[in-house]
Amino acid sequence: MHFDFDAGKYAVYVWPAFALTAAVFVWMITDSLASARRWRREAERLQALKEAKK
Amino acid sequence: MGARDPHHPLDFLTNPERFMAFSRWAAPMFGAIAAVLALIGLVLTFAAPEDYQQGDTVRMMFIHVPAASLSLFVYLCLGIASFLALVFRHALADAAAVACAPLGAAFTALALATGSLWGKPMWGTWWVWDARLTSVLVLLLFYLGYLALRSALEDEQKAARAAAILALVGLINLPIVKFSVEWWNSLHQGSSTLFAKPENRLPAVYAWPMLVMSLAYLSAFGSLWLVRIRALVWRRKARALALQQAEG
Repeated sequence: MHFDFDAGKYAVYVWPAFALTAAVFVWMITDSLASARRWRREAERLQALKEAKK
Repeated sequence: MGARDPHHPLDFLTNPERFMAFSRWAAPMFGAIAAVLALIGLVLTFAAPEDYQQGDTVRMMFIHVPAASLSLFVYLCLGIASFLALVFRHALADAAAVACAPLGAAFTALALATGSLWGKPMWGTWWVWDARLTSVLVLLLFYLGYLALRSALEDEQKAARAAAILALVGLINLPIVKFSVEWWNSLHQGSSTLFAKPENRLPAVYAWPMLVMSLAYLSAFGSLWLVRIRALVWRRKARALALQQAEG
């Protein structure tokens, strides 16, 4: 299998498009995971507080 | 988010346990499938030959078209979830709507940006106000409007209702985006994928990377959508617990 990474005169368009795609995916993944982690921890903290009060 | 009995602050989901149990394994599973497919898709992308007309810019097709397809598909999900939230007042449906809006906005912005980067060398311009590009820009504005409306109103139920109505109104833009290249003259090419006429379909050497990358995007969306819904379920649980503690 031959890979062609040389975009020649179009490199100035092709590589920014791939870089932008990677950046958007990195944002979507990190933002989603961080949000889930943050609220899960908060809910668990409050649940633990509630159970400690019982 | 939907009507709920104020005496039962935790009664905000029809069946949160079942959803959380399902999404706990489904989200990482879709994520793993997306990663594998993206890897295979990238291999096929850079193994594909240059196009005789478009040269190496043809590789942008494999990241641009799936983003554009997802921008429409995610909005359809937003519309359906908003309808269910509005009519049946289903809290999980409302969470599903809120969760997919930022992802849809990201896919739409990505489609516009990669399309612009593809358009400059092929059309000689970054942007034209033709029907396809303009209707996709309108789609992005619907996503942003939905998100702005959700955060602008303090009353969550009012915000959910107003945003759901806006999302439903925006559904009318989907066929306009899809058929814009057939209804009006456009620089943008017509469909060359699944529903295209046989003479317009992509050859296998381009169709395979396109299919694999499209499935990778779809799986990634499925995974991230579930993760974001989970975050919203946790958030509502945290707020309900905080309210209980404030009251008690």
